[in-house]
Amino acid sequence: MAKAEYTVLGTDMPRMGGVERVVGKGIYGIDLNLPDALAGGVLRSEYAHAKIVGIDTSEAKAIPGVRTVVTAADAPDVRYGRSYIDRYILAKDKVRYMGDPVAAVAADSQALVKEALKKIKVTYEPLPVVVDPEETMLESAPTLHEDMPLPKNLPEGVQVKNVCGYTGVNIGDAEAGMAEADVVVDEVYETKMIHPQYLEPRIAAARPEEDGRITVWANAQAPFPVRTEVAALTGLPLNSVRVISTDIGGGFGGKGSGVTSSAALEPICALLALTAKQPVMIVMDKAEETISTTIRSGCKIWIKSGAKKDGTLVARQGKVVYDAGGYSGFGNQAGGRCTQMVGGWYRLPNIHMDGFTVYTNKQVCGPVRGPGGPQATFAMESHMDSIAAELGMDPIEFRLKNVPEKGDSIVGVPKLRDSSLAETLNLAKEKIGWGKVKLEKNQGIGFATGAWIEGSGPGGGAVVKMNEDGSATVHIGKVDYGTAARFGIPMIVAEVLGIPTDDVTVLNVDTDASPWDAGTVGSRSMLVSGNAVKLAAEDARDQILRMAAGQLEASPEDLEIVDRQIQVKGAPSRSVSLASVCNAGHNEIGDVIGRGYFDSKASQAHERETGSSQPFTTHAAMVEVDTDTGNVKVLKYVAVHDVGFVVHPKAVEGQIEGAAAMSLGQALCEQVVHDSDGRTLNPTFVDYLMPTINMLPRIEAITVSGYPGAGPYGTKGAGEIGSVPPMACIANAIYNATGVRVRRLPLSPENVLRALREAGK
Amino acid sequence: MGLTITLTVNGNTHTAELEPSTALVDFLRDTLGYKGVKLCCNTGECGACTIIMDGKPVNSCVVLGADAAGTDVVTVEGIADGDELHPVQQAFIDTGAVQCGYCTPGFIVSLKALLDRTKSPTAEEVEEAISGNICRCTGYTKIFDAVELAAKQMS
Repeated sequence: MAKAEYTVLGTDMPRMGGVERVVGKGIYGIDLNLPDALAGGVLRSEYAHAKIVGIDTSEAKAIPGVRTVVTAADAPDVRYGRSYIDRYILAKDKVRYMGDPVAAVAADSQALVKEALKKIKVTYEPLPVVVDPEETMLESAPTLHEDMPLPKNLPEGVQVKNVCGYTGVNIGDAEAGMAEADVVVDEVYETKMIHPQYLEPRIAAARPEEDGRITVWANAQAPFPVRTEVAALTGLPLNSVRVISTDIGGGFGGKGSGVTSSAALEPICALLALTAKQPVMIVMDKAEETISTTIRSGCKIWIKSGAKKDGTLVARQGKVVYDAGGYSGFGNQAGGRCTQMVGGWYRLPNIHMDGFTVYTNKQVCGPVRGPGGPQATFAMESHMDSIAAELGMDPIEFRLKNVPEKGDSIVGVPKLRDSSLAETLNLAKEKIGWGKVKLEKNQGIGFATGAWIEGSGPGGGAVVKMNEDGSATVHIGKVDYGTAARFGIPMIVAEVLGIPTDDVTVLNVDTDASPWDAGTVGSRSMLVSGNAVKLAAEDARDQILRMAAGQLEASPEDLEIVDRQIQVKGAPSRSVSLASVCNAGHNEIGDVIGRGYFDSKASQAHERETGSSQPFTTHAAMVEVDTDTGNVKVLKYVAVHDVGFVVHPKAVEGQIEGAAAMSLGQALCEQVVHDSDGRTLNPTFVDYLMPTINMLPRIEAITVSGYPGAGPYGTKGAGEIGSVPPMACIANAIYNATGVRVRRLPLSPENVLRALREAGK
Repeated sequence: MGLTITLTVNGNTHTAELEPSTALVDFLRDTLGYKGVKLCCNTGECGACTIIMDGKPVNSCVVLGADAAGTDVVTVEGIADGDELHPVQQAFIDTGAVQCGYCTPGFIVSLKALLDRTKSPTAEEVEEAISGNICRCTGYTKIFDAVELAAKQMS
C-alpha cells in the first residue's frame, strides 16, 4: 500500500523518549536509585572445568557490613535451561566455564562486596578442559554434563559425545543429486565467538515487599521469562514475583534469553534480597560480562555443493559444529537455525545437512542478533561465490539463476507467495556500480544475499486504554531499546485513532500489568505487538464510535476520527471531540479499553495456506586490500532489503545500518579469544576491538516494496536480517580484489595477510 | 572519607567528600547525581562517560575524582539552554541517530567540545572528535547525518 493512504505511517516521527536521551535523564537500569539498596556481586569460577569440593563462606560472612552470602545450597534444588535443563542458579558440584557463577554477596558498599568475594574459599578439583567444539565430540574428550542424554533425534549410528542439540535437513536425495553435478565445490569455513557488547552494563535490582512478594528491576529484553525463572529458582510462587523493565541501553539478544543471557543475574539478585531481607542492586562490570554472559558462538561449517554447467544448483551436503559453551543456553536453537541457513534460500532440490550443537568449557551461546544466521551465511554465500568462480560465471548471474520464485519451497518455508531476492540482487548490483565503476589495483566488489525466515514463535497481546482527554496509554509486552516499541508501535495507535503521536504513551513492561510476551527477540516486535496493538486500537476506536453515534445521530460505520475529532464521513462539520466522548464514557463503560492480540498459530496456518512472503536482502561492498599489511578498508557499502511495508523509514534504516555495522565488526575485527585453559584473553574494551566511526563507510540502506509480510499493514521483521550478509559480503569483495578466498573469520590483517601469503601473493 | 573537593559542574559549584580512589564518573553519577554521564567500559575506550573538563573532552572513567578539584566540568545535562536543545541534541533526534540512546550523551559532549573549539570543523576533524565514542546500534550512519545537520544549522 502507498504511504499516501496514511496520515502517520511512513513518516519519520521523532523517537519517543528522544529528548530524555539527548539531555541525559537517568532512565536506564543502571541509573536506578533504589533507597537503602545493598550492593551485590557475584563470585565467578576461576576454572573452566572443575569439581567444587567445598565452599567456605564463613570468613566473608564475618566481615562487618556484609549482609548475606549465598551459594547453590541456599536455593531450591532446581535447574533451568531451554532445550536442556542443565544449569543451577549458582554452580553446584561442578563449574563448566571460567565465569560460571559460584557464590554471591550483598553488603553495605561495593568495596565490602569486593572484599567479601575475595574471602570466599572455594576448593576446586580441576578437570580436563575442552575448548575446541570438534574435539569435544570425540570419545577421548571429558564429559561435561554427566546426566544429560544425547539428543533423541540423533541419526542412528552416529557416535558422538557432549552433543546437546542436533538438526538435520533432508530434502530430496543429496547423494544422487551430487552425482549428477558437472561441478562440485567442497569447502570448510570457520567463525569465532563474539560478544554483543551492548553498552549499558547488565543490572538487576530486587526488593522484598512487606506482603511477601518481590519486585525485580531488570534491563532485560524478556521480562516475562525472567519472572518465570526468578520464581522457579528462588522457590517463590509465580504471582509473588513482579518484574519491571527499565529503559535499556542496547541488547542485540545479549539481554534476551530469559535469565540465561545474564547467567542468572536476576534470580541471584532476588536470592540475595530474600536472604538479606533488604533491597539489593547488582551492576555488572563490562569485563565480567564478556567472560560470563551469553555470546554469538563460533562454529565450523563444512559445505559441498554440486551445480550444472549452466549454473543450476543440484545438490548440497554439509555439516555444522556449533559451540553451545558450558551449558546448552540458546545453542540448539541458534545451531539449528545455522544448519538450516547453510542449506540456503535458493532453489535447491537436494539437501542433506547435519548440525551438531556441542558443549565446551566456554561462555554460553545466546540469541545474539540473527542467532546462527551470520555464521551460516559467511560460509554459504562465500561458497556461492566459489561455485560461481569454478563455473566461470558472474556471481550475480549465478545467484539469479537459482533464486526462488513464487510457489517455490526453501529450507524452512513450505511455499513462498512471492520472492524479492532477485530484485534485491539487481538493485544492489546497480547501486554498487558492478561492471561500471573503475576498480583500482587491490580494490574489489563483493555481494552476499541474506534471508531471515519468519517462522513459528509465541503470540502476544496489547491493551489500548483511552484517557478522558482523548489520549491513549498503551500496554505491550515488548520493551524499547531502539526497537519498534517507541518508534512504529505508537504510530500505529495514532493512525488508527486519528490522534497525534504525542497523545500516545507506550509503557515499559511491568509483569503485573503488561500483557505476557516471550521477549523482544527474533525481529518480532512489529509482527507480534504491532499486529496486537493495531487490533487493540481498532477495538478502542469501535467502542468510541459506538458511543459517539447516538450523539451525532449517525451509525458508527459512517463515523471517522480525524485529528482528535469524531466526524461524519463526508460531513466534517457534524463532529464531536474525541476527548468529550472519552470523558462521557465514564458514565457508560468507565473507560474505553481496547484489546488486541496476535494469534501466532492462526497466522502461521494462514501463511502455510497462502504461502508466505519472507524478508530477503542483498548487500554489496567495495573494499581495498592492503597486500602489505592485510588491512581491509571498506570504501562503500550498500544494503538492499525487503522488509515489507515500512512504518517508520528512519527506524528501519537504523536497524539495517546498525545490524550491518555489527556484522562488519565481526567480519573485520571482533572476536573473543580463549587460551587452552578456557580463559578469555580479551575481556575489556581495550582488547576487544569494535568498529568506530573512522572504520566504517556510511551504510546505504535501501528498501524495496511490493512484498507485504505478515506484520501489520504488511511489515516484516527488520531487526536482525541486516546482520546476516556482511561477513560473506566482505570476504567476497576481498576475493574479487585479490583472487584469494579467506575462509576463517575475522578478516583481520593477520588472517588476510596469512591467506595472501599462503596463496603466494 | 578521605578528601573534600570543590568543583564546578554545568555552572553549579559543588563541594563534596570522596575516597581518593573514586573515579570521576562514579563521583559525578553517585555523589553529585549527574546520571547523564554514562558508565560503561571503565577503561577509557567507549566514550560513554565523556565530559568536558576545563574545555577539553575527557573520559571520566579514567580520571580520578580528586583530579577534578578546582576544575570546570560540563556534562550532557549542561548542554541545553533550559528547554532549548543544543543544535547537536536536536539533530540527533531529527536524524534518527538515537536508537537505544546510551552512547548519545558521550557523542553529544564530544561534538559540543569540537564545536566550541572550531565553528566549522572538517570531516576529518569530526571523525577524529568522535572516533573515541562507540555506538553499537546505529552503525554511525545516522550520526554522520546528525553532525552534518547540526553543522548546517549552526553556520
